[in-house]
Amino acid sequence: MDTAAGGAARIGGVAGIDRTPFELFLIHEAALLDERRFRDWMALFTEDGTYWVPAVPDQASPFDQASLFYDDRDLMKTRVERLEHPRIHVQTPPSRTAHLVGNTMVELADEAAGEYLVGSTVIMVEYRDDQQRVFAGRQRHRLRREGASFRIVQKRVDLINCDSAFEAMAVPI
Amino acid sequence: MINGHADEIAKLVEPGRVHRRVYSDPDVFELEMERIFGRAWLFVGHTSQVPSQGDYITTELGRQPAIMTRHRDGSVHVLLNRCTHRGAKVVNERRGHSPRLVCCYHGWTYDTDGKLVTVPVPEGCAADFDKAAFGLARAPRVGEYRGFVFASLADSGPSFEDHIGPMKGNIDDLVDRAPDGMLALDAGMHRYVFNGNWKLQVENVLDSYHVPFGHASTVNKDGVQFARREGDQKGATVVEADKKQTANSWKDRKSYIAGNGHGWTSNTSLDDGKRSSPAFDEYKRVLAEKVGAGQAQQILRPRLHNSLIYPNMSIMGLNIHVRVIKPLAVDRTEVTIYPIRLVGAPAAMNFGNIRLLNVTHSAASFVQTDDLESFVRAQKGLQSHHTDWVDISRGLGAEEPDRDLNATRGLATHEMVVRAQYKAWLGYMREAA
Repeated sequence: MDTAAGGAARIGGVAGIDRTPFELFLIHEAALLDERRFRDWMALFTEDGTYWVPAVPDQASPFDQASLFYDDRDLMKTRVERLEHPRIHVQTPPSRTAHLVGNTMVELADEAAGEYLVGSTVIMVEYRDDQQRVFAGRQRHRLRREGASFRIVQKRVDLINCDSAFEAMAVPI
Repeated sequence: MINGHADEIAKLVEPGRVHRRVYSDPDVFELEMERIFGRAWLFVGHTSQVPSQGDYITTELGRQPAIMTRHRDGSVHVLLNRCTHRGAKVVNERRGHSPRLVCCYHGWTYDTDGKLVTVPVPEGCAADFDKAAFGLARAPRVGEYRGFVFASLADSGPSFEDHIGPMKGNIDDLVDRAPDGMLALDAGMHRYVFNGNWKLQVENVLDSYHVPFGHASTVNKDGVQFARREGDQKGATVVEADKKQTANSWKDRKSYIAGNGHGWTSNTSLDDGKRSSPAFDEYKRVLAEKVGAGQAQQILRPRLHNSLIYPNMSIMGLNIHVRVIKPLAVDRTEVTIYPIRLVGAPAAMNFGNIRLLNVTHSAASFVQTDDLESFVRAQKGLQSHHTDWVDISRGLGAEEPDRDLNATRGLATHEMVVRAQYKAWLGYMREAA
């Protein structure tokens, strides 16, 4: 992969790559979550895709440490089926969310293989049952070009408060 | 208003019911902090969390900040995390390593066994100032069993052996599963909080009654829960799908009490003959190689499901973890869940445990979140004055002795374990500290 720059991130991301299609993809993904189209959201992931929300800053691996989320497609499917279940108490009433994705930058690119690492800042405001709360952090999408769009090989969200004690979380960030 | 007199406390607990004030009254909570958390044997941590000299973790005993350290001579110390000078919390990190513990305020410096070693500008000390009297306060009594460290903040009371003795087998049940006979709590932690009383969580860990209803969202149309262990092809059958009611196999599950508020539920088969994956098969092979085939067969027999070591800790044998319950306020509780690494087990097996614990017990899990919703709604409902009593009478009178286990047995969908917790609760609460 071509890195954005030797060591330090190049301002604007990898040279010669227009970030617009990546931003549009991230906006689309955020809309699917906000519209609770969890099945369509899951379909954005490759068959070997993973969704990871570490439980400590700079977590090196999901394999030897607890994570808030580390779903492969099988676990993602169980999660989505549960979100669709009529008796999911922690979503009665359901959460309403608003995602804001910004500061998008293509951090790494392998144009020949069609693989990209895209960093962005995400803020999700969640309202449920008379309570509103905010999640925020930097997310990194490992994307694979597929036709005119992308599939997600891994989505990693590093919340700024990832190691805090959370009240119940039901919907993906 | 609770005055703390024994007769008034006793009125809160009856044979099959408890008064709602045990969950909702701030005065009762203050008494609990003094009379239960101020003197019971509380789980502090596991020695694997402080493997090397100078390692420390911080926690809370009741609401009091505490530190567990590993000193230069290898000993483990439980100290109160409060500078003896002006009271600042000395160690701020949840875990770390330092040969000295230095207060941020005026620089008073303590050794890892709590001794005060340095006071800046010592010439300003009062003439009779005695450094030896200003070490970090220590938990008066500390006990350890197979790495599990407990402390009591009271100088006297039931011995560690009296308190933990009945539960040693429950700790063995878990530790013996490690091919090297050791556990490590070194795989991070899950932390969650909820707006509810701490006892709602304590009562829930041995409650098998709620599963088909509380966790309906984890059960498929065939009444089967999702596969939640490495190598499992599917989870437990909790509902008879055709009848839409709790499965008979679930109703047959047993619970046990053995004094002191402790209890456990059984049984969970470790190797039901169908459980298989490369990681689990390799674990079985390594276990047999290290402990011998006969012992491995014993270990792979049905094991305990959940064990409660009253008042603040539970061990889960299904999605293996240690859970620590920290009361924050009458209506606010924090829980820490430590994944367990079985020392000597294949890394892939330990990953399987960590990976599935993420979806059973993290703050974002499929299982724990519906429990949290129930706790929050219980706390809200208990604000009602219309009915003052909370019913815990299921199976009252149906308890029977289990002489083989030296315990009392009931059905896991009964409430014997909750009644046993309130018996222990009353024992602490009736007696002024």
